[in-house]
Amino acid sequence: MQALSGYDQAEVYVSSATVHTIYIDDSRISNIETKVDSGLMVRMSEDGRLGKASVSLNRDSAVSDCVSMARAVLRYSPVNGEFTGYAQPGQARIAVPDVWDERVESVEPEDLREIAKVLIDNCDVDIPRAQIRVSANEGCTMNSNGVDVHHRSTLVYGHFTSMTVGDHPGEGMETYHGTHLDLDPEWIGRELTRKARAASVCREFKGSESLSMILPPSELGDMLTSSVGAAVDGENRKYGRSMWRDSLGERVASECLSITDDPTVPAPLSCVFDDEGVPTERRPLIENGVLRGFLRDSFCGDSTGNGMRRSSVEAQGAYERTPVIKPLNMVVAPGRMSREDIVAETDHGILVEKFAWPEADELTGRFGLNVRCGYLIRRGEIVGTVNNALLMGNMLDAVSNVECIGDDVRQMGVVSVPTMSFSGAELVGN
Amino acid sequence: MTGQRADDYQDVLESAVGHMQDMGAEFSDARSQTIRVTGVSSMNGELRQLVEKATGGVCLRAWIGGRWGYGTATSFDRADIMSAAASAVANARGDGKSDLHLEPASVRRHIDARVRIHPDSVDLSEKISAVLDLDRAQAVDDRVINRMGSYSEEIKDNCLVNSVGSDISWQEVRTLCRAMSVASDGQRMERYYDGPDSTLGFEVVRDTDLEEVGRTTAEEAVATLSAERAPSGHMTVISDPMVSGLLAHEAMGHASEGDEITKRRSFLTGAVGRRVASDVVSMYDDGTVHGAHGSVPFDDEGTPSSRTQIIDHGEYTGYMHSLETASQLGCRPTGNGRSENYGKRVWVRMTNTFFAPGEWDRDELIADTRDGILCDKMVNGMEDPVGGCFEAKCLRGFRIRNGEIAGMVQSFTLTGRSVDILTSADALSREVVLDGGMCGKGIEDWVRVSSGGPYMRARMIVGGGQ
Repeated sequence: MQALSGYDQAEVYVSSATVHTIYIDDSRISNIETKVDSGLMVRMSEDGRLGKASVSLNRDSAVSDCVSMARAVLRYSPVNGEFTGYAQPGQARIAVPDVWDERVESVEPEDLREIAKVLIDNCDVDIPRAQIRVSANEGCTMNSNGVDVHHRSTLVYGHFTSMTVGDHPGEGMETYHGTHLDLDPEWIGRELTRKARAASVCREFKGSESLSMILPPSELGDMLTSSVGAAVDGENRKYGRSMWRDSLGERVASECLSITDDPTVPAPLSCVFDDEGVPTERRPLIENGVLRGFLRDSFCGDSTGNGMRRSSVEAQGAYERTPVIKPLNMVVAPGRMSREDIVAETDHGILVEKFAWPEADELTGRFGLNVRCGYLIRRGEIVGTVNNALLMGNMLDAVSNVECIGDDVRQMGVVSVPTMSFSGAELVGN
Repeated sequence: MTGQRADDYQDVLESAVGHMQDMGAEFSDARSQTIRVTGVSSMNGELRQLVEKATGGVCLRAWIGGRWGYGTATSFDRADIMSAAASAVANARGDGKSDLHLEPASVRRHIDARVRIHPDSVDLSEKISAVLDLDRAQAVDDRVINRMGSYSEEIKDNCLVNSVGSDISWQEVRTLCRAMSVASDGQRMERYYDGPDSTLGFEVVRDTDLEEVGRTTAEEAVATLSAERAPSGHMTVISDPMVSGLLAHEAMGHASEGDEITKRRSFLTGAVGRRVASDVVSMYDDGTVHGAHGSVPFDDEGTPSSRTQIIDHGEYTGYMHSLETASQLGCRPTGNGRSENYGKRVWVRMTNTFFAPGEWDRDELIADTRDGILCDKMVNGMEDPVGGCFEAKCLRGFRIRNGEIAGMVQSFTLTGRSVDILTSADALSREVVLDGGMCGKGIEDWVRVSSGGPYMRARMIVGGGQ
């Protein structure tokens, strides 16, 4: 910070991470990586002009180089009429969440080998590609307003694929998002087996029909992040591109749906201060279907503590990223039904095991997604397994058409969701 | 320019390779990389981002018993690099052993980027002006609620040495600018984007009519507000070059990556010599296309880039390879062993992937189509090497009825079995365009690629979103 004295405002963010990754290729351990990563970003303002630069800390002159680069940028910067300042210091509003696992801090390649071996032993089909990545991460934000906060967390991320062999191979996928080395390789191995075998007996869907869709956490997580997450993004509201920009206090979802941004529980981005140094807190977004709030960072103004540089899956390179608005941990309040109960309640629907890539359009909420494996439901029973079809709808409409909410909550990146069913989707095939 | 270049550390890299060999590596390489990025973006006439970034580090790889070990240092300190080299060798050791031997070429070359105007020679103020010009040009209609301009340059300096005597350095320069407009009529929102990308220098910006790009981008976003919902069903589709490229990339490209073949994860395993498309379809991956966004002089293992024919007039002809997959399949490496950066693993990755041209004009294709849909720009896509399907999201399109354009349609998704679609392809245009973007392997490890092709007519499943 000393090198930045003399500016109206200045900020330094430093991050470092030690990352271990083990890769499985073709049901055998193929690589192990060890990475050490550290760097910083400098931001400063003078008379409304802004400077910003980042460097990796790979040489003695890195810090002075970074300051020089940011100064050069500031010289060229036009006056920014929207900049209101970096974060102001504030008191912590929540207790430190449990996001540090000493087992991750001290992990050795042999520990990861053991987990990978258990996974391979418990998967009865091929594992063409999988990885487990663990990291111990530290970050520090300081600014000339007096912010001086430090954060540390551990991150555990796993991505696993499976495949049956034969003329009609089926593919399965599992993920793990967490802060503790609690992934269960035996369960993951069994799930990979089940999913790949289910996909291998899929029949191509033909025709088209309107139906209910049942989305498990693995598919719903990213669809909610890309739709609801974008609609409650304060910058999208500020620039008029949130479909819910004028809906604060109004009903935007079914009465049974409540969503809270909750950084108090263990989750990849849970923290006491965000990456700009603003205190975080538990924040209702949707209460019984009514929109209760938007998420903001310092650029947006009146920050809610959602200015994040860190990723929920990757520790490397946090210092390179400018803070953007992110949910810290968007939690959907669970219901009381099991997935089997939801299927039994569904008259005419599809339970999606796997999309090609689950996402909705961030502006409009529209989606049209390739179903890799889905179970057709008639009068509460699964009557067939289908693939190669498009499931279409709009997630911002779907949240107003919630039929059932499950009790099987799982962490999927920055969201924690159960299985849910929605009416009003369309399925189109060949 | 701030900081050192990757090739300043050649002596240390050679020492690290020697260290890994002494510790028992059968083959090893060391690659240093520095990456400098200048990014400028605007929103509604105000600069939103103005940033310079400089990152760099060293990736050490040791090959022992058919297994890679990696060590990465975000430091150019000799002791840190030697420590990462020791980690690489330790990480390569393990149970099980293969006698697979890599066959890397020994190359000694030093290549500068082939650019006319190096971005380093251009004042930052001109880059800012370009972005604000793009932004201002979009102010053509009150319904344009977001005007966005952006400029980005990336300068990568690479240095690689390995245990068979390679000594290579090269620079990659990528320059791009883009306009994106969001339009709203109070109820609906639509967007449109345009702008060039390349492995060229700042000439890309100076040679572009920024006013024209910005204005037409905004006008098209507004026009899309009146688009109708796209139809759904199995129908005739004319993909534009961008969506043709997405088909090439997602439907066939990923499934032709050598590691998907060695794992038998691709529906194209054992397909060489088999018919996978109609006679009019030929397809390549070519990392040597001058100026294309995915071009590289060498891959990240030091193999010179090359042109790989994947489909020859409907017949499947071959795969892309890294050192490892080439050895596994008894082929020559094709220069497709790429990584996102020094901190990421090398995989088999595409470069510039495209369908070869046909003999039609775009307008002839439309006039010859009784009932169908014409694509206009892509959003993104997803591969399915196991199932042999694909998914491509289109930004918008046009209905074709009785040989004429009959109105605009909103975003929609295409899917189907890749071989069925390419076998149904019956007409391709003479015009081939490449479009740059980022490609992930599964869900991460992003590398810069391009994809493209001609306008192409085929049958596939169309789904219009709500």
